[in-house]
Amino acid sequence: MRGLLFWGSVVFLALLLLFAVFGPQIRHGPFEIVGSPYIKPSADAWLGTDEQGRDIFSRLAYGARVSLLIGLSVVTVGILVALIVGTGAGYGAPWLNTVLMRFTDGMFAFPDILLAILIVGIVGPSFWAVFGALAVIAWPSMARLLRNQVLSLKEQEFVTASRALGAGHWHVVFKHILPHLVGLISAVAMVEVAMIILAESSLSFLGIGVQPPTPSWGSMINTARTVMRSDILPLLWPCLILSLTILALNFVGDGLRDRFDPKSAAGG
Amino acid sequence: MVLLKRVLRSPVGAQVLRRLAWTVPTLVFITLITFIAGDLAPGDPAVRKAGMHGGQEAVELIREKMGLNRPLHVRYAEFVWNAAHFEFGESLVTPRAVNEIVLTGIQHTGRIALLAILLASGVGILLGGIAAIWRNRVADRLAVSFSTLGICIPNFVLAPVLVYIFAIWLDRLPVAWRDDPERGPWIYLILPVAIMALRPAAVITRLTRASMIDTLSQDFIRTAYAKGVPFWRTIIVHALRNSLVPIMTAVGTSLGFLLTGSFIIETAFLIPGLGSASIDAIRKADYPVIQATVLIFAVLFIAVNLLVDLLLPLIDPRIKEGAA
Repeated sequence: MRGLLFWGSVVFLALLLLFAVFGPQIRHGPFEIVGSPYIKPSADAWLGTDEQGRDIFSRLAYGARVSLLIGLSVVTVGILVALIVGTGAGYGAPWLNTVLMRFTDGMFAFPDILLAILIVGIVGPSFWAVFGALAVIAWPSMARLLRNQVLSLKEQEFVTASRALGAGHWHVVFKHILPHLVGLISAVAMVEVAMIILAESSLSFLGIGVQPPTPSWGSMINTARTVMRSDILPLLWPCLILSLTILALNFVGDGLRDRFDPKSAAGG
Repeated sequence: MVLLKRVLRSPVGAQVLRRLAWTVPTLVFITLITFIAGDLAPGDPAVRKAGMHGGQEAVELIREKMGLNRPLHVRYAEFVWNAAHFEFGESLVTPRAVNEIVLTGIQHTGRIALLAILLASGVGILLGGIAAIWRNRVADRLAVSFSTLGICIPNFVLAPVLVYIFAIWLDRLPVAWRDDPERGPWIYLILPVAIMALRPAAVITRLTRASMIDTLSQDFIRTAYAKGVPFWRTIIVHALRNSLVPIMTAVGTSLGFLLTGSFIIETAFLIPGLGSASIDAIRKADYPVIQATVLIFAVLFIAVNLLVDLLLPLIDPRIKEGAA
């Protein structure tokens, strides 16, 4: 069952990637008006049209591109910052640990996406504002996790052995500590991408994310909401694809964690 | 002094004091961030306040009146001082004072958050407990599926879908919030509270399950069974009480998600709360309102987590025995 969910999710995410890359070019462009608003699904517009008569299939695909682009790039930046802060705090001098971890703790005083909302609120909503704001909130949880991992790795015998053989700190960090973090990072990255995609859609739903006419799943849900009394389909598509994406990322993350960390498999 | 020494010497007392002391730098951190954010906001607040027709003199007058000419640290100190007195200045767009806007909002947001956390704790502890007792059985699988879905399905997906089902298709519940003295607020709160509660309920279910599974495998549970303590008494008095610490911590952090979840729910249901006031302010670039709402959300979050941490020694049987 777990294996099935894992591989099913992997296939789904692979298809989503193809959808994001090729979807916007298959029939219509995402900004092109192809007919009257709210046409039912047909041979021409496979999933129907939206409030301005644009092809929903193409806009969903472009939304996938936006979500994946923001999710992957924000998490990449977040991991880099978390690696620097985490290894610095875990491996570095005690005072560095205190300074970095106190700052990280401070970041947790802002729950969830509150800080991102503040940043977007001040800078004004745009693609780069969303990217920056989400990058700021992405790193603290990963930094804390990596720091704990580094702390326990530092005490391992192979590190002591390497140090005893005369290895420098940089050698130890790059050859012995970082390779051991790869598994953990890949598992956490999946869940983190899900979180960022969710945050990006939340901001777009609130109208303070990626701005129109650029499609985003969140803003598609928000506009489709107003007409659901007469037509529910434009609402269902983005809801469905967003929920499935988040679920798939979480399943893959869980699966990777089980693979890399035998202890967690038992806990379920 | 003697009292202070005694408090410091007891492990719980020292822990409580350390926790209280830690709140100070946290508060400094969040006020500093919100203050800097407000200061970095584009445009000159004095120019905006003066409006289109305000000349250079009017702007200078307003700048002087608003105290914008003073150095940064003085203004920060004043910001904190005013915030502590629930004074956030005037809105840049409407002639209303900011604290008036947030005061009406906080009542709506607080009521929904409180109801949602109560519902979520009840459902979460019940489901998590059931899942742990009948581990790997159907009930467990259902509870775990519920919790996975609850964590993954965003509330802005759930809100329109549930509105469609209950308000449009079944026509049982209202679509959005309305001030309705006739029917009272409760019928309007059902959907928002239920949707708000889902994610924390899912998180609490997951944590209760893990924590209860851990506790149920401990020796003292076997001892309780062996000496003939009835099954439910073992579960509630022995297992649940000992699992409460991680559960309560989860309740505290869940409240953070509830507070930010109110941005979505209040926008979706048109509830005039703190969250929708904040989003409204962002659209209008009304920086003092953004500052005030974010600061209130963050302070509430810190306060609740402080409360939870201070309550933990009271509910944790191990700490109490250790102190006695």
